[in-house]
Amino acid sequence: MNETVMIMLAALVVLGCVLAIRESDPYRKLIALSLIVGGTIPFIVDRGLLDVAVAVALIFPLSTIFILMACPGGEP
Amino acid sequence: MTPEFLLGLFLILAGTVGTAFPRPKTYLNRLINLEIPGIGILLVMLSYNEALALLTYGGVSALSVFIFVRVLQKREAKT
Amino acid sequence: MTPAGVALVLCGAVALYAGVRVALEPDTLRKLPFLNVFSFAITGVIALLLPHPLGIVAAAAYFVGSTLESNAIASTFAGGLERG
Repeated sequence: MNETVMIMLAALVVLGCVLAIRESDPYRKLIALSLIVGGTIPFIVDRGLLDVAVAVALIFPLSTIFILMACPGGEP
Repeated sequence: MTPEFLLGLFLILAGTVGTAFPRPKTYLNRLINLEIPGIGILLVMLSYNEALALLTYGGVSALSVFIFVRVLQKREAKT
Repeated sequence: MTPAGVALVLCGAVALYAGVRVALEPDTLRKLPFLNVFSFAITGVIALLLPHPLGIVAAAAYFVGSTLESNAIASTFAGGLERG
Protein backbone atom coordinates (compact mmCIF):
# COMPACT_ATOMS: atom_id res chain seq x y z
CA MET A 1 0.00 0.00 0.00
CA ASN A 2 0.96 3.61 -0.31
CA GLU A 3 2.82 4.64 2.84
CA THR A 4 1.05 7.98 3.25
CA VAL A 5 -2.44 6.46 3.02
CA MET A 6 -1.45 3.74 5.50
CA ILE A 7 -0.26 6.32 8.06
CA MET A 8 -3.50 8.29 7.59
CA LEU A 9 -5.67 5.20 8.16
CA ALA A 10 -3.66 4.18 11.24
CA ALA A 11 -4.10 7.70 12.64
CA LEU A 12 -7.85 7.42 12.02
CA VAL A 13 -8.01 4.10 13.91
CA VAL A 14 -6.07 5.51 16.88
CA LEU A 15 -8.25 8.67 16.90
CA GLY A 16 -11.44 6.58 16.87
CA CYS A 17 -10.15 4.35 19.69
CA VAL A 18 -9.30 7.28 21.98
CA LEU A 19 -12.62 8.96 21.14
CA ALA A 20 -14.66 5.79 21.78
CA ILE A 21 -13.12 5.29 25.22
CA ARG A 22 -13.30 8.90 26.41
CA GLU A 23 -16.90 9.73 25.37
CA SER A 24 -19.80 9.09 27.75
CA ASP A 25 -22.92 9.28 25.52
CA PRO A 26 -23.72 5.93 23.80
CA TYR A 27 -24.49 7.59 20.46
CA ARG A 28 -21.13 9.38 20.40
CA LYS A 29 -19.42 6.08 21.23
CA LEU A 30 -21.17 4.38 18.32
CA ILE A 31 -20.07 7.13 15.92
CA ALA A 32 -16.45 6.67 17.08
CA LEU A 33 -16.82 2.90 16.61
CA SER A 34 -17.88 3.52 13.03
CA LEU A 35 -14.66 5.54 12.61
CA ILE A 36 -12.60 2.53 13.79
CA VAL A 37 -14.33 0.10 11.41
CA GLY A 38 -13.89 2.49 8.48
CA GLY A 39 -10.18 2.71 9.17
CA THR A 40 -9.85 -1.08 9.49
CA ILE A 41 -11.50 -2.31 6.26
CA PRO A 42 -8.87 -0.89 3.82
CA PHE A 43 -6.21 -2.95 5.65
CA ILE A 44 -8.26 -6.09 4.88
CA VAL A 45 -8.65 -5.07 1.22
CA ASP A 46 -4.91 -4.41 0.93
CA ARG A 47 -4.11 -8.06 1.81
CA GLY A 48 -6.29 -9.20 -1.11
CA LEU A 49 -8.98 -10.84 1.04
CA LEU A 50 -11.87 -9.20 -0.77
CA ASP A 51 -14.57 -11.73 0.20
CA VAL A 52 -13.68 -11.24 3.85
CA ALA A 53 -13.91 -7.47 3.33
CA VAL A 54 -17.43 -7.83 1.88
CA ALA A 55 -18.52 -10.01 4.82
CA VAL A 56 -17.05 -7.69 7.47
CA ALA A 57 -18.49 -4.57 5.82
CA LEU A 58 -21.96 -6.11 5.91
CA ILE A 59 -21.77 -7.68 9.40
CA PHE A 60 -20.47 -4.74 11.47
CA PRO A 61 -23.42 -2.37 10.74
CA LEU A 62 -25.67 -5.26 11.79
CA SER A 63 -23.83 -5.39 15.11
CA THR A 64 -24.27 -1.63 15.55
CA ILE A 65 -28.03 -1.97 14.92
CA PHE A 66 -28.16 -4.72 17.58
CA ILE A 67 -26.53 -2.36 20.08
CA LEU A 68 -28.96 0.43 19.11
CA MET A 69 -31.82 -1.84 20.21
CA ALA A 70 -30.57 -1.51 23.80
CA CYS A 71 -29.95 2.26 23.70
CA PRO A 72 -32.36 4.54 25.58
CA GLY A 73 -34.31 6.99 23.42
CA GLY A 74 -32.49 10.15 22.44
CA GLU A 75 -33.63 13.74 22.61
CA PRO A 76 -37.33 14.21 21.65
CA MET B 1 6.03 -6.89 12.76
CA THR B 2 3.58 -5.63 10.20
CA PRO B 3 1.60 -2.42 10.88
CA GLU B 4 -1.61 -4.45 11.16
CA PHE B 5 -0.13 -6.47 14.03
CA LEU B 6 1.00 -3.38 15.97
CA LEU B 7 -2.34 -1.61 15.41
CA GLY B 8 -4.23 -4.72 16.54
CA LEU B 9 -2.14 -4.99 19.72
CA PHE B 10 -2.81 -1.32 20.51
CA LEU B 11 -6.54 -1.79 20.00
CA ILE B 12 -6.61 -4.90 22.22
CA LEU B 13 -4.73 -3.18 25.08
CA ALA B 14 -6.68 0.11 24.96
CA GLY B 15 -10.04 -1.60 24.53
CA THR B 16 -9.44 -4.01 27.41
CA VAL B 17 -8.52 -1.18 29.78
CA GLY B 18 -11.56 0.78 28.57
CA THR B 19 -13.84 -2.23 29.13
CA ALA B 20 -12.50 -2.88 32.62
CA PHE B 21 -12.85 0.74 33.77
CA PRO B 22 -15.63 2.46 31.76
CA ARG B 23 -16.20 6.15 32.52
CA PRO B 24 -19.92 6.05 33.52
CA LYS B 25 -20.13 2.51 34.87
CA THR B 26 -23.13 1.17 32.94
CA TYR B 27 -23.62 -2.10 31.11
CA LEU B 28 -24.22 -0.37 27.76
CA ASN B 29 -20.90 1.50 27.86
CA ARG B 30 -19.14 -1.74 28.75
CA LEU B 31 -20.79 -3.51 25.79
CA ILE B 32 -19.81 -0.78 23.34
CA ASN B 33 -16.22 -0.75 24.63
CA LEU B 34 -16.13 -4.54 24.19
CA GLU B 35 -16.36 -4.03 20.41
CA ILE B 36 -12.91 -2.38 20.30
CA PRO B 37 -10.86 -5.50 21.29
CA GLY B 38 -12.96 -7.47 18.80
CA ILE B 39 -11.71 -5.31 15.94
CA GLY B 40 -8.17 -5.59 17.37
CA ILE B 41 -8.37 -9.40 17.28
CA LEU B 42 -9.62 -9.12 13.68
CA LEU B 43 -6.50 -7.10 12.78
CA VAL B 44 -4.14 -9.57 14.51
CA MET B 45 -5.78 -12.48 12.62
CA LEU B 46 -5.38 -10.46 9.42
CA SER B 47 -1.61 -10.16 9.92
CA TYR B 48 -1.35 -13.99 9.76
CA ASN B 49 -3.45 -14.25 6.52
CA GLU B 50 -6.15 -16.52 7.98
CA ALA B 51 -9.17 -15.97 5.71
CA LEU B 52 -11.44 -18.68 7.16
CA ALA B 53 -10.76 -17.58 10.74
CA LEU B 54 -11.64 -14.00 9.80
CA LEU B 55 -14.95 -15.03 8.23
CA THR B 56 -15.97 -17.23 11.17
CA TYR B 57 -14.95 -14.68 13.79
CA GLY B 58 -16.85 -11.88 12.05
CA GLY B 59 -20.05 -13.92 12.01
CA VAL B 60 -19.82 -15.13 15.59
CA SER B 61 -18.98 -11.66 16.93
CA ALA B 62 -22.30 -10.21 15.71
CA LEU B 63 -24.14 -13.21 17.18
CA SER B 64 -22.52 -12.72 20.58
CA VAL B 65 -23.43 -9.02 20.55
CA PHE B 66 -27.06 -10.00 19.85
CA ILE B 67 -27.05 -12.42 22.81
CA PHE B 68 -25.55 -9.76 25.12
CA VAL B 69 -28.24 -7.27 24.04
CA ARG B 70 -30.99 -9.81 24.82
CA VAL B 71 -29.48 -10.46 28.26
CA LEU B 72 -29.29 -6.71 28.93
CA GLN B 73 -32.92 -6.15 27.88
CA LYS B 74 -34.09 -9.02 30.08
CA ARG B 75 -32.25 -7.58 33.08
CA GLU B 76 -33.73 -4.12 32.47
CA ALA B 77 -37.25 -5.56 32.25
CA LYS B 78 -36.86 -7.38 35.58
CA THR B 79 -35.88 -4.32 37.66
CA MET C 1 3.72 9.53 -8.58
CA THR C 2 1.01 7.96 -10.72
CA PRO C 3 -2.44 9.56 -11.07
CA ALA C 4 -4.05 6.66 -9.17
CA GLY C 5 -1.62 7.31 -6.30
CA VAL C 6 -2.53 11.00 -6.26
CA ALA C 7 -6.25 10.13 -6.11
CA LEU C 8 -5.59 7.64 -3.29
CA VAL C 9 -3.68 10.20 -1.20
CA LEU C 10 -6.43 12.79 -1.85
CA CYS C 11 -9.14 10.37 -0.65
CA GLY C 12 -7.05 9.59 2.44
CA ALA C 13 -6.63 13.31 3.19
CA VAL C 14 -10.39 13.87 2.91
CA ALA C 15 -11.00 10.92 5.26
CA LEU C 16 -8.50 12.26 7.82
CA TYR C 17 -10.02 15.77 7.70
CA ALA C 18 -13.54 14.38 8.14
CA GLY C 19 -12.37 12.22 11.05
CA VAL C 20 -10.80 15.22 12.82
CA ARG C 21 -13.98 17.24 12.27
CA VAL C 22 -16.05 14.37 13.74
CA ALA C 23 -13.77 14.30 16.77
CA LEU C 24 -13.94 18.06 17.40
CA GLU C 25 -17.69 18.57 16.90
CA PRO C 26 -19.55 19.24 20.18
CA ASP C 27 -23.09 18.64 18.84
CA THR C 28 -24.04 14.98 18.34
CA LEU C 29 -26.52 15.51 15.51
CA ARG C 30 -24.02 17.68 13.63
CA LYS C 31 -21.47 14.83 13.65
CA LEU C 32 -23.47 12.68 11.25
CA PRO C 33 -22.87 14.64 7.96
CA PHE C 34 -19.14 14.48 8.62
CA LEU C 35 -19.50 10.75 9.25
CA ASN C 36 -21.11 10.47 5.80
CA VAL C 37 -18.20 12.37 4.23
CA PHE C 38 -15.80 9.99 5.99
CA SER C 39 -17.62 6.94 4.64
CA PHE C 40 -17.56 8.34 1.07
CA ALA C 41 -13.80 8.89 1.31
CA ILE C 42 -13.20 5.37 2.67
CA THR C 43 -15.30 3.97 -0.20
CA GLY C 44 -12.99 5.81 -2.62
CA VAL C 45 -9.90 4.39 -0.90
CA ILE C 46 -11.28 0.82 -1.09
CA ALA C 47 -12.21 1.16 -4.77
CA LEU C 48 -8.84 2.66 -5.77
CA LEU C 49 -6.66 0.33 -3.68
CA LEU C 50 -6.67 -2.85 -5.79
CA PRO C 51 -7.24 -3.14 -9.57
CA HIS C 52 -9.50 -6.18 -9.19
CA PRO C 53 -13.16 -6.63 -10.29
CA LEU C 54 -14.24 -7.74 -6.80
CA GLY C 55 -12.89 -4.51 -5.30
CA ILE C 56 -15.88 -2.60 -6.68
CA VAL C 57 -18.19 -5.11 -4.97
CA ALA C 58 -16.37 -4.59 -1.65
CA ALA C 59 -16.64 -0.80 -2.03
CA ALA C 60 -20.37 -1.05 -2.78
CA ALA C 61 -20.91 -3.34 0.22
CA TYR C 62 -19.10 -0.94 2.55
CA PHE C 63 -21.07 2.00 1.12
CA VAL C 64 -24.43 0.28 1.67
CA GLY C 65 -23.51 -0.88 5.18
CA SER C 66 -22.13 2.45 6.34
CA THR C 67 -25.12 4.41 5.02
CA LEU C 68 -27.50 1.99 6.76
CA GLU C 69 -25.61 2.33 10.03
CA SER C 70 -25.54 6.13 9.89
CA ASN C 71 -29.26 6.27 9.12
CA ALA C 72 -30.04 3.89 11.98
CA ILE C 73 -28.05 6.02 14.45
CA ALA C 74 -29.77 9.23 13.27
CA SER C 75 -33.25 7.66 13.35
CA THR C 76 -32.83 6.29 16.87
CA PHE C 77 -31.28 9.52 18.16
CA ALA C 78 -34.17 11.62 16.82
CA GLY C 79 -36.70 9.31 18.50
CA GLY C 80 -38.30 8.27 15.22
CA LEU C 81 -38.32 4.62 16.19
CA GLU C 82 -41.37 4.07 18.39
CA ARG C 83 -40.49 1.41 20.92
CA GLY C 84 -42.35 0.26 24.00
